[in-house]
Amino acid sequence: MSLANPQRAASRVWLPLVFAVGAILLGTLFGFGMPAYIVFVSTSVLIAMVSLLGLGIVTGTAGMIALCQLSFASIGAWILEFLYLKTPLPTVFGAASFLVFMVIAGLITAVLGLVIGLPALRLRGVNLAVITLGVAAAVDTTVQQLGFPDQSTAHIPRPFGLSSDPNGDRGYFLFAVVITVVVALAIYALQGSRIGAAWKSVAFSERGTASAGTSVRTAKLSAFALSAFVGGIAGCLIVGQITQVNYLTFTPINSLGLYVLSIVVGSQLIDMALFGGILFVVIPEILKQFRVPLEWSSVAFGVLGIQALTSNSNLGTGVRAALFRRRRLREAARVEAAGDVAAVETVAEAPIPTGTGRPLLIVDHLTVEFGAVKALTDVSLVVEEGTILGLIGPNGAGKSTFVDAIGGFLPQHTGTASLDGEPLRGLAPHQRARAGLRRTFQQDRVPPSMTVGAYLRFVTRGKADPAAIADALQFFGCPDASIPLSVVDVGTRRLVEVAANLAARPKLLLLDEPAAGLSHDEHLAFANRLRRAPEHFGTTILIIEHDLDLVRSVCSRITVLNFGEVLASGDRATVLSDPKVVSAYMGETEML
Amino acid sequence: MNIIIALIVGFSSGALYALIGVGLTLMSVLTRVVNFSLVAVGVFGAYLSIRSAPLLLTLPPAAQTAITVVIAVIVAAIVSGILGWVEATWLSEATTTARSAVTVASLLLLISLSFILFGSQPQPLRPLLIGPLFLVGQVAITKVGVAMLVAAIVVAIATWLIVSHTPLGVRLRAVSDRQTAAELLGVNVKALQVGVWVAVGAVMGLCVSIIGNTAAADATSMITLIIPGTAAALVGAFKSLPLTIIGGLVVGALQGALTAFPSTTQLRDWIPILIIVLFLLWNQRKEVWDVAR
Repeated sequence: MSLANPQRAASRVWLPLVFAVGAILLGTLFGFGMPAYIVFVSTSVLIAMVSLLGLGIVTGTAGMIALCQLSFASIGAWILEFLYLKTPLPTVFGAASFLVFMVIAGLITAVLGLVIGLPALRLRGVNLAVITLGVAAAVDTTVQQLGFPDQSTAHIPRPFGLSSDPNGDRGYFLFAVVITVVVALAIYALQGSRIGAAWKSVAFSERGTASAGTSVRTAKLSAFALSAFVGGIAGCLIVGQITQVNYLTFTPINSLGLYVLSIVVGSQLIDMALFGGILFVVIPEILKQFRVPLEWSSVAFGVLGIQALTSNSNLGTGVRAALFRRRRLREAARVEAAGDVAAVETVAEAPIPTGTGRPLLIVDHLTVEFGAVKALTDVSLVVEEGTILGLIGPNGAGKSTFVDAIGGFLPQHTGTASLDGEPLRGLAPHQRARAGLRRTFQQDRVPPSMTVGAYLRFVTRGKADPAAIADALQFFGCPDASIPLSVVDVGTRRLVEVAANLAARPKLLLLDEPAAGLSHDEHLAFANRLRRAPEHFGTTILIIEHDLDLVRSVCSRITVLNFGEVLASGDRATVLSDPKVVSAYMGETEML
Repeated sequence: MNIIIALIVGFSSGALYALIGVGLTLMSVLTRVVNFSLVAVGVFGAYLSIRSAPLLLTLPPAAQTAITVVIAVIVAAIVSGILGWVEATWLSEATTTARSAVTVASLLLLISLSFILFGSQPQPLRPLLIGPLFLVGQVAITKVGVAMLVAAIVVAIATWLIVSHTPLGVRLRAVSDRQTAAELLGVNVKALQVGVWVAVGAVMGLCVSIIGNTAAADATSMITLIIPGTAAALVGAFKSLPLTIIGGLVVGALQGALTAFPSTTQLRDWIPILIIVLFLLWNQRKEVWDVAR
């Protein structure tokens, strides 16, 4: 496993480039071998593909609704024409003008995208849909009234002096192929990067994303801005293809069609974006041949869209699932095998960590109120560096509220908290995570769209090298890094979450019922690993847990919450034998 | 003075936005969906109903009108009901975003179908109410405008009465808050959900028949009235019906006010989106997370 992985990783780096070169070669053959009409239509396919790729970032990867992709295209086209016709810049850049202007147009469109996306960010995806639909309509009417700088008289020269005849069409097709390949490569690389992981994570859970030290706002805005940038590029490509544009190319209904198509095919996947581009262009072309109203293609997209949305699937992932079912089965078998190894693994019993005696987390008079309900009242506690503190209490005692407040999700609390001498007040959850305060969740917050390894790279913010990732996974007996999280069961996913957060080597890790969903044997193994964790990862741990056996076997100190107040706090034996604690746990009658 | 007149000019459209906003808010509260197809459903019904005109030529004019309106209401209710059935059957536990995405797809479907069936040419969709109700100075307050405002207020009050004062309202609230829990208590969730869709669809069919082609010349541009409608609903945060009505009137009034400055016609189209943006900026002062915990 450890030998095979680097080789596979190396081949993965080269594979997209091989595909890219292959695509350009194929494009050259196609562009100069096919009839002129087919080449011209194929250029439209590529442009639709670029639009869909841009849209895929927002709708597919980051899970938002964006309905103004062609408005971005029209803005990009408008800027390109403006630069060509209303500024002296074409003489400055000469033959490279088109390329330079295209990048400028893309960048300005991206900034506009940021402005549009900003107000919609804190709220949910539907608001982005409302805003982008409004923008689509407003841009449409504005462009209708203003017109494009070409005023239907001037023609925009094609890049690198390409002519506007069928021969130039072939050259321009190749230009479009190269641009599409560059865009596709860049998006593919980004999707595999940390920012791409942030997009996937934000689509699954905002809280989980923030707790991994990634700003939700940055993740969404970057997705939206990049999508707008690519949209602007697509608009410029349209100008180059037909050298003169009007608003009819960019109507809101076409933007709606693109969005729905993006959902249907799953256009965050490169090949599916190409397929979507073919559908978007070829279906209307076929209808044109048969003199059927072109709108029937939109009707079909609408029906397909409803089908895709109601079945919560798209063509891309469907096809992939079918193709890779066997591989997944094999991987599932590997997960099981790995689980077995973990179960039989024998490690010497580690002692309960005692710590350095230095206070790491100091919480003073923490009070959280939800309206009239006091969830936490005047809670004070200290976690010593290098120890494992158990936070226990009956259901509704305020344990998770405590973790939420310390993690930064309840900024309106009163009282103070400091980590390693630094006050936490005013820090957003992702800033606290970066300051060395991590947490895990009771609910499943591990995005299933990533592999185990990609998730660990994301949570550790790229700080852990492959060796450290493998070490953390092995430490908790987790599945191999190459396995997709979608085939990992929920209990094991939560172990992966714990391993990932420890691999980030925070100063303090708050574990919210990490062992729920594990079997009794797995509980024991988990306890043993947890005891070694503070020394192994240099992390202090606060653990919320219902299983008192687990708490007893890992914690040196225990704090008990009851009805939002500290009932008892101190070393393990004293607290667990405290009559108040026993009565809170067992009920009064048991005491009699 | 000009501005005051201009504000009144915007009243008719504002009242219509308010009504659309009320429909959107109602559906958002009761069925957890931002229904982008809301107006499209009504427009589809109304435009389809005028296709029946050749068959009704022998009837007296009043009967013709009545039958046309009934057809519009029924078609709109059926189309809306089908959508609601799709949502209730396959997306009962899905997020608001996923449920709303379906209405985006159906919006695309309805726009393109309208385009195929009704074309982009103006159609003889006669409004039921024609002419001014009274004059303020030289500006007419149209019957249609007043009717829309009355309709918005009536729908809002009726909703409030039903939701907070009847057993049906209790069930509706239960379905909206915790669908599965309501289902386990024996509430017929699907029927209730589809019922809301049918009722709202019928109201939209009726309203589009009333306004006819006074608000927009053709089907497609009429469907885009959903945008100022969403702006109105956002002012009420998709929760408050009174604020939604005020929001609609404000959007209309601002658009009307801009007609006093002919140089700013460009801005008119941006009014809804500006309202939306300003509202969202104000609304997001506080941090909001995707889930409560």
